[in-house]
Amino acid sequence: MSVRIESDAVSVVDTTFEDVFALIDRWRESIEDFVASSPVDVAAIDALVETLVVPDLSRDGALIIGAGFVAQPGFIPDAPWHLAWWLGHANTFGWTGPAAPSLRRLVAVEDEHAESFRDYTTLEWWRVPSTTGQRHITGPYVDYLCTDDYTLTSTVPAYQDGRMIGVVGADLYVNDIERALLPAVRGAGRRAALVNASGRVVVASDSSRPTGSLIRRENWTQHDRVVPCANGLALLIDD
Amino acid sequence: MPQSIRTSTSAGAVVFAPLDGSGRAELVERRLTDAIVLGLLADGERLPSESDMAKRLGVATVTAREALESLRLKGLVETRRGRDGGSFVTAGRDRTRAVLDARVGSLSRVELRDMGAYYSAIAGSCAELAADRATDDDLERVRGIALVTDDDETAARRRQGMFQLEIAALSQSARLVREELRLQAEFAPLLWLWLREPEYRRRSLDARGAVLDAIAGGDAAGARDRTASHVAGAIDWLLETKAELEERA
Repeated sequence: MSVRIESDAVSVVDTTFEDVFALIDRWRESIEDFVASSPVDVAAIDALVETLVVPDLSRDGALIIGAGFVAQPGFIPDAPWHLAWWLGHANTFGWTGPAAPSLRRLVAVEDEHAESFRDYTTLEWWRVPSTTGQRHITGPYVDYLCTDDYTLTSTVPAYQDGRMIGVVGADLYVNDIERALLPAVRGAGRRAALVNASGRVVVASDSSRPTGSLIRRENWTQHDRVVPCANGLALLIDD
Repeated sequence: MPQSIRTSTSAGAVVFAPLDGSGRAELVERRLTDAIVLGLLADGERLPSESDMAKRLGVATVTAREALESLRLKGLVETRRGRDGGSFVTAGRDRTRAVLDARVGSLSRVELRDMGAYYSAIAGSCAELAADRATDDDLERVRGIALVTDDDETAARRRQGMFQLEIAALSQSARLVREELRLQAEFAPLLWLWLREPEYRRRSLDARGAVLDAIAGGDAAGARDRTASHVAGAIDWLLETKAELEERA
């Protein structure tokens, strides 16, 4: 019995992230098609990415709260470091106006000589997919520079003739993911935790493992069952 | 996501977040002064227009104008006319030093101790949680940011601020991170004033290393205590400096 319940939980988890990655893959393919056939400059990339991500960010009930394309340094001739990134209505980052936030472009410092500039290629959401060539989920982490909240970032690398041209990705609030996945994780067991590849708890059914706490990989074997999910996630279940 | 490239930034967003309460011109002046002293608004940086600033801060345009006038009198801002005109930060070391000395003089010993107690509670809790929640990768990244010797005050302040913010992020608490950012905007210019002296820049560097060692060892109580004693040291120095300034006056 427990095997079937586990596989139900895995399928809910996998479907939730698959839906996000399906969007990202669609954007990635459009970007790859575009750069294969058209000259690349910053205006063209921004216009393209905006038309791709804005409709999906504006959709009612959308889980994603930020999305876009981050360029390989030097790929866009007239913008050596570039983020084409949009923030959704639900994203309160940096929003100080009295009304609810509106969909907007992220304003970033892209001048590598500015003091506030940081090399994004060292960050997990870039580093891991660029090394593995695979989808990657970064977080949960407090993204104090882009969402101001507890966040999961999903990224995939994009290529042109086998050469990486950037990553395409989307941000989710951990709050929303908890709401979406908690019933399934509860279904998997009264003591079940969904963790990321580093063992960071994403959602757990028992309160002794709060979201954000760490179940270090070397201790995973102490759990009765370790059920792998897609994208490096796993369910740790105790009977 | 893009933690990268600092957005126009979290710190920037705090600088221009809406104000409430009375004495708004003084509050605007105080916040901009802090941002200039901290280097959040860099020397030569153009400030938003009066009307834009007023809108973002949620105050009347006349209030923003009044605050800018006070900053001009202190020599922290200069207004140029013409097509490329506007208000620009003019933060020389002597000016910011005089501003900070005046601030130290104006606060009571009780207020300074209280500032330390509150900051210590937040930063200590962040470090305590981080000890349970930081991965080796996290620690390696923060070490790269925190364990660097700085030759000048502005760089040292920025690094100390980045370090505390990274530790707050390792706590995995969005509220603690937001509170850390808010407190940095409110207290950091005074709290880390000792970074103007090379000797204390070394001491802060050592303290950051000690906190990171405790976090790496999973020693939550140690991480909190070392954070608290770092803050306490900075406050003691501040009180001694205040006494010296008062004697001289």
